[in-house]
Amino acid sequence: MLRFGLKQAGRLALGLLGAIVLAALVAAAGSHAPGLSAYANIVVARLVAFGHLDFGTSAITANPAWDDLARRLPVTLELLGFGAVVAVVIGTPVGLLLSAGRVLRAGAPLLQIVAAAPVFCAGLGLLWLSERVLHWTGAPHDTSFVSALLSGDTDAMAAELRSVALPALTVGAAGAASIQLALRRAVSQAANEPYRRGLHAMGLSRFEVDSAYLFPQVVAGLFRSFGEVASSLLSATAVAEWVFGWNGAADLFLKSIALQDWSVVGLVLLVFAALTLSAEFVGAMAARLLAETERLA
Amino acid sequence: MSAAGEIASAPAPSLRTIIRGAGFIGLGAVGVFVGLADVLARAPANAENVGAPLLAPSAAFPFGTDILGRDMASETLHALAVTATAASFGALVTVLIGGLFGFLAARMPVGPGQFSRWVAGVLSAVPALLLAILLIGLTDRSFAPLAAGLAAAPLAFARAFDRARELSTSRHAEFARATGISRNALLRRDLAYEFRDTFLVSATRALAAVAIILSTVSFLGFGATPPHRDLGLMIGAARDTYFDHWWTATFPAAALASLILCARLAAGLEEGERP
Repeated sequence: MLRFGLKQAGRLALGLLGAIVLAALVAAAGSHAPGLSAYANIVVARLVAFGHLDFGTSAITANPAWDDLARRLPVTLELLGFGAVVAVVIGTPVGLLLSAGRVLRAGAPLLQIVAAAPVFCAGLGLLWLSERVLHWTGAPHDTSFVSALLSGDTDAMAAELRSVALPALTVGAAGAASIQLALRRAVSQAANEPYRRGLHAMGLSRFEVDSAYLFPQVVAGLFRSFGEVASSLLSATAVAEWVFGWNGAADLFLKSIALQDWSVVGLVLLVFAALTLSAEFVGAMAARLLAETERLA
Repeated sequence: MSAAGEIASAPAPSLRTIIRGAGFIGLGAVGVFVGLADVLARAPANAENVGAPLLAPSAAFPFGTDILGRDMASETLHALAVTATAASFGALVTVLIGGLFGFLAARMPVGPGQFSRWVAGVLSAVPALLLAILLIGLTDRSFAPLAAGLAAAPLAFARAFDRARELSTSRHAEFARATGISRNALLRRDLAYEFRDTFLVSATRALAAVAIILSTVSFLGFGATPPHRDLGLMIGAARDTYFDHWWTATFPAAALASLILCARLAAGLEEGERP
């Protein structure tokens, strides 16, 4: 386990190093260096500055890039958190249901019809349904749910939940698609293991075999797909923030690209890549831990 | 979980073949529509005041009209042609840069091969949509199809790299090397078989991914620019009108979803495989 953990930590460190280099390459794009060597010098200077936790200055606000991002990041993280909850609540039963039995599996391609709609279409559809069918106009996003929770103000909490519902559903739908895919993949791989037939032949019922042996493998498979799920949630967050007018980090990324504020763009990329890589690391470690626990049990 | 016991048996190949066939028929139909867009469309692209603004779907205008009085059926057809053409180009870039280069990189000496795999891994950690927008921001909007293709390439690269590594350590590869077959001959052989077996799957899978990226990029305002409107831009432009005039966004969205659906069905993805 220790060896595996060290290997995964090494992979995470290498990935983060790559993300830092990518951020420096992007941040240096705004320098308009007059040649490759000048550009390389600026990239090196940016890397050194990153080492001192100096991520540059925003070309638009003249604030440190980190300050601009730090103001927006909680909004994105909140949306990601709610989206992840929705994704698990929807994706897990759908994934298990579509993996259960030949008849239901045959229906899995029908899900492609729903999944074929890009995230922004789903967001616009939800917006239309809420306004025109449910006559629910949503609510402005004034504070964060966590702040409302900490203050103990139930009205504020209800207002925040109402405000986050549609964007979280949009992000969650994209995450649910990833989760159900990961689950189906894990079930498909685990179900073909020869031990299942062997144990069944030894007299164990299918339920006993599946709950004791297959289920942990499926959960481990889902853990291993954490990076993939995180990436789809982040991508959907960018679209949801745009559609629903949330001033989060992804929205900052889009506006910074439009205004060529490369220091901020590089920093947002670094943070997003770090989130995905960390999710991959946590997922790999959790999957291994689960496998070790099962082995010891 | 007990019902999962049924899974052990492989899915009926006939069902998968039917699904793939349906996907290819759909893509063929899209191809015909795209090829004949100028003939089938009643009005040329961006022809304003063809009818009164925001007319609901009727016999005269089956998809209605938009806020500038453009025929939505003709506009959807023209935009589908733009999206499908750009996505096809992007998919080709993904297959060539991602799939082919990934396959070749796996056979490079360990240093450059692992380095390129590491680069692909780092780029895969950034959502493809954001990567495409970054590339457009660094270049120009006219490069959007190329940017979308390149953004989807890291995942294709990683997949092809891992597959090539798997092949190079397989028993047939060991046997071939033992019998004196050169590395280049083995690479050519593996490449030819891989191309034959997986090109259509890779290309259609890339088509779906690139179509999603391209349309989303256009929707967010970083892709196609008028007068060359694609489906994402049409849907984005309908944001102010679709609450009261649903047809201004619904038909382009349906056309886009159909294109993506056909491409995904044609890819005939394995159980749980990532699109």
